Amino acid sequence: MLAASVLSDSALEHYRADFENPGMFAPLASAAVLLACALRGTRSAAPYATACAVGTAGLGFHAYNVLRRPGGLSWANLFYAAPLGAPAALALAGVIGLAARPVAAGATTLAGLPSGRALCGLAAFGLAGTSAEAALLHFRGAFQHPAMWVPVSVPPVTALLLAGAALPHARGPRRLTNALLRACTWLGVLGMGFHARGIARQMGGWRNWSQNILAGPPLPAPPSFSALALAGRAALALRAAQEAA
Amino acid sequence: MERDRLRRPREPARLRPARLRQPRPVGSEGGAVSAGHSPRTGAGRAPDVFERGGWVTMREYGDDEPVDFAIVGAGAGGATLACKLAEAGFSVVVLEAGPFWRPLEDFASDEEAQQQLYWLDERLSGGADALALGGNNSGWGVGGSTVHFSMISLRFRPDWFQSRSRLGYGVDWPITYEELAPYYDEAERALAVSGPVRYPWGPPRRRYPYREHEMNAAGLVLARGAENMGIPWASVPLATVSAPRGKSPPCVYRGFCNFGCATNAKQSALIVWIPRALAAGAEVRDLAMAGRIELGQDGRAQGIHYRRGDQWRFQRARNVVVSGYAIETPRLLLNSACNRFPHGLANGSGLVGTHLTTHAGPGMWARFDEEIRWYKGPPNMAVCEHWNYTDTGKDFHGGYAFMSQGPLPRAWAQLLVTEKNLWGAALRREMRDYNHMAGLVAVAETEPRACNRVELADVRDRHGLPVAHVTFAYSDNDRRMQDHARRFMGAMLEAAGGHDVWTSDDTSHILGTCRMGSDRATSVVNADGRSWDVPNLWICDGSLFPTAGGVNPSLTIQALACRMGARIRTLAARGEL
Repeated sequence: MLAASVLSDSALEHYRADFENPGMFAPLASAAVLLACALRGTRSAAPYATACAVGTAGLGFHAYNVLRRPGGLSWANLFYAAPLGAPAALALAGVIGLAARPVAAGATTLAGLPSGRALCGLAAFGLAGTSAEAALLHFRGAFQHPAMWVPVSVPPVTALLLAGAALPHARGPRRLTNALLRACTWLGVLGMGFHARGIARQMGGWRNWSQNILAGPPLPAPPSFSALALAGRAALALRAAQEAA
Repeated sequence: MERDRLRRPREPARLRPARLRQPRPVGSEGGAVSAGHSPRTGAGRAPDVFERGGWVTMREYGDDEPVDFAIVGAGAGGATLACKLAEAGFSVVVLEAGPFWRPLEDFASDEEAQQQLYWLDERLSGGADALALGGNNSGWGVGGSTVHFSMISLRFRPDWFQSRSRLGYGVDWPITYEELAPYYDEAERALAVSGPVRYPWGPPRRRYPYREHEMNAAGLVLARGAENMGIPWASVPLATVSAPRGKSPPCVYRGFCNFGCATNAKQSALIVWIPRALAAGAEVRDLAMAGRIELGQDGRAQGIHYRRGDQWRFQRARNVVVSGYAIETPRLLLNSACNRFPHGLANGSGLVGTHLTTHAGPGMWARFDEEIRWYKGPPNMAVCEHWNYTDTGKDFHGGYAFMSQGPLPRAWAQLLVTEKNLWGAALRREMRDYNHMAGLVAVAETEPRACNRVELADVRDRHGLPVAHVTFAYSDNDRRMQDHARRFMGAMLEAAGGHDVWTSDDTSHILGTCRMGSDRATSVVNADGRSWDVPNLWICDGSLFPTAGGVNPSLTIQALACRMGARIRTLAARGEL
């Protein structure tokens, strides 16, 4: 799901940039392969590792794009230069894919940690990162709609609780964490609705969809929250199962 | 020798019958005051600026019904004050000489058609440096010049309010920056100004309500040049929204900002203050030309004679506010001369019409190897206020800011013709470089001098009113400042990689002529914009400015209007109106 989000988002944004650099096709290809492999349950690590590499390289390119502009590391460049969060999401999708392979094969540990806990931490990190990206872009939008505060308040709390579940000796039922993760899952759907409304508020609205889908709030962005929340719920369930065992 | 000349409108009259959809005449006032336009307000309604063909309800007052405030002019000053006063519960009628625009229908992406937004009535312009009137310095219609302004919303440097005491030039204002700062905040919030998170000049201030826009390549030229010279730069705080706001969609960067914004992203007086004023019960009468303010035996203004629909009418009012900008405001006062004030209403000091200042706009232009495409986005996106805040290394008093530029093709061709005297094949050749050009134009303060003034001419306009005669000449200081600006901007363009640098001349905002002050002998109105001589006569526009400052004035005009609204409310509560 995260791969689908990355695929559509990078397709839109790089199309907007007219694929000025041939490298701009790489995340599309990588995310598309990732998506196909994830759907087919491919065992090979290669596509996931490639996504990690492409995502990391993209992060480097995007960081270079931000820093080379006049003003350097400034708010304006963080707002309008290549977004740092997008390639990070691709790398994250690759890491999740890589982590899912041994788990699917029945491994109980990941990087030396119980797999449930490790995946909780990974999902928490992803949620926090996505929320940071939303915070930056919603700040750019001046939080002009009250709903813009939701993705910068609910996911960070959820991430915090989920990170708590990644700690050793963390005990007790995780009802609140689960409920918040469920809320984050819906957040992705609701967010798309709000972004669709945001597109309608551009000049010409949906009648001018070909332009406003590019200029308005990105439709593919909010589902990242759903993807990471679902990963978080799966991680939490795995953790509970491992604890019970 | 004085170079007096009758300034015809910049554009020939054939441009005037615009491509406007003609609304049906309202009530009995079908007669057009101006060719191609007929009143749109009346019959209990006014145009809804956010809807094609839409209307909002509007309260109306009878001519014989004395309203609390009759305001002449619906621009940055008049519209803002009308909103503040109506929201404070006063009855308000606004008389506007121009039409009530419908942004979604009247504002075309067409440089020629949009010339209709300027005040192009006849005026005389003379003096050693006669000002080009109309064009970019006088608006016509509800919203005034804010309909076609560049949306630059900068604050004055605090020291300028006391420039004589603190900086040794000009004249002190009767208010301090600290008194005006809350109203700057209010105006910036009302206009949802999109600005940088941290503005590098001036005292600490509240963050701009909206974030800055994405910089265009023309702005990046200034940025690159400034960084190479080690001088700070910033994106320009603009009164056009960078995100949706109410019924305003965000800017689409179509570049027609110096004309009416058909997107409604531009936060002009027409779409910000006027709808609020109407909702609060103010009445706006469009195509209503004020001719004379009537003074009663008691020395108080009784109301305004105005012409609408070929009829002269008289609106009674308990207070009269003149907001016609720096030429039409003194013209109305001078045209209202009476026994008590034979040299013009409220002109006991003899200063009405004097001390006209403008912003000199020397420009530097250069060609760049890469494509700039400077027509993209708002025309002025990057600013350097270095010489507004730095006093060392100057051979002049005062200050100037300068901005990156983005003239549209017709305006650029006009500049090449008038400044480089190009024509024919040479003009065509130069126009081919359009997408490779970038430039910087200054907003340079000029000194307030009594000799620069607005008077009445013998010529009469189509209403039978004497037209304004504007006289202007630069002082030596004004010239030194412009030379300095040229040198500095030229160096910056070269530092950014430009070549074939050349220069041009221009002026923009017109200010002064009814200045505010703390002494009735040396000013026309007090700090509240209230006439020293006629206690119920007020002025609220750029003519109040004792000095021009080195930034665009619209934000300061609106902040002053907000302050006046608050002051009038206080005075009314104390029974001191």
